[in-house]
Amino acid sequence: MTAPSWVARVEAAYVGAPGVGAGLDAAVEEELGLVSVDVPPERWADAVAVARESLGCTFFDWLSAVDELDDGFRVVCHLAARRTGAVEHLVVRTRIPRERPAVASVAGVYAGARWHERETHEMFGIDFTEDGAVLRLEGLLLPEEFEGHPLRKDFVLASRVAKPWPGAKEPGESDERPRPARARRRALPPGVPDPADWPGSTAQGER
Amino acid sequence: MSGADGLPARSRGVIALIEENCTSCMLCARECPAWCIHIDSRQETLPSATGRGRDTTRNVLERFAIDYSLCMYCSICVEVCPFDALHWSPEYAYAEGDIRDLTHEKGRLREWMWTVPPPPALDEHAEPAKELGAAEKAARRARR
Repeated sequence: MTAPSWVARVEAAYVGAPGVGAGLDAAVEEELGLVSVDVPPERWADAVAVARESLGCTFFDWLSAVDELDDGFRVVCHLAARRTGAVEHLVVRTRIPRERPAVASVAGVYAGARWHERETHEMFGIDFTEDGAVLRLEGLLLPEEFEGHPLRKDFVLASRVAKPWPGAKEPGESDERPRPARARRRALPPGVPDPADWPGSTAQGER
Repeated sequence: MSGADGLPARSRGVIALIEENCTSCMLCARECPAWCIHIDSRQETLPSATGRGRDTTRNVLERFAIDYSLCMYCSICVEVCPFDALHWSPEYAYAEGDIRDLTHEKGRLREWMWTVPPPPALDEHAEPAKELGAAEKAARRARR
């Protein structure tokens, strides 16, 4: 008898009843060879614990988040299980609302996750909780007086403010000789919020 | 001589520019997520060839520079260029002591073109390049 595939084992652990993962409300999917599990935020810490206890994911690789704008933040962690001659990978994900970005800490499952939670906390402004209480996480990389969360999509990078966008010029235009007649609407750099929306800005957007 | 011998043909070492192909359309500068492509151009008016029609204008490239201290080698500019003016060269050894020297102006970018390898041969039974088909069709028509 051949051993069950990794995705089958993940499915058994998370959605197979009556396993340890029963009631986790998890969805397992395999995409481009990577197995991932989506769980509701209130089951996040339990889902990570299941990976360690039932699937042998003893290696915690990283934890981070993705800013999905109106859909909130996706909190993601990548785990791995070693077996002879190979490594199995597992991604655990959950999505939390933008207005209340908080999720349970998994440092109790993997102590090394604390570093990653501190980074995610300062970069995305996501709170991590322990027994329902929000942890006061220390910063990790940013200077103490830094304001804002630089990996949020509404954060304006200083380098994008300090320097003009090279793509603003029209064909036939140069720095020395801007074309006076500008019939067309000015193009705006993709991914940079409109200057009118910058926090603390009184600038009028060019739109 | 080349320090990039033996690297795969699609290695992303440095971006080379065929100035003659560039129409200063600004697409690469606008797509660049790192804001590292700087283009200046001027508009030139050419009198109509027949003397009766309207004058035509064209853009003349004055400056094309890539700041390799910002470039993240994502290749979007190479992909987006509609005129095949940008190409990857596998050359990688262009470190500098002064960060300003990492901005390569169009003359230097043109020189990299000599190090761009020919594209890899197509797979067996692959569809031939569209340009080839068009050229052959034109040649057949001319013979008739």
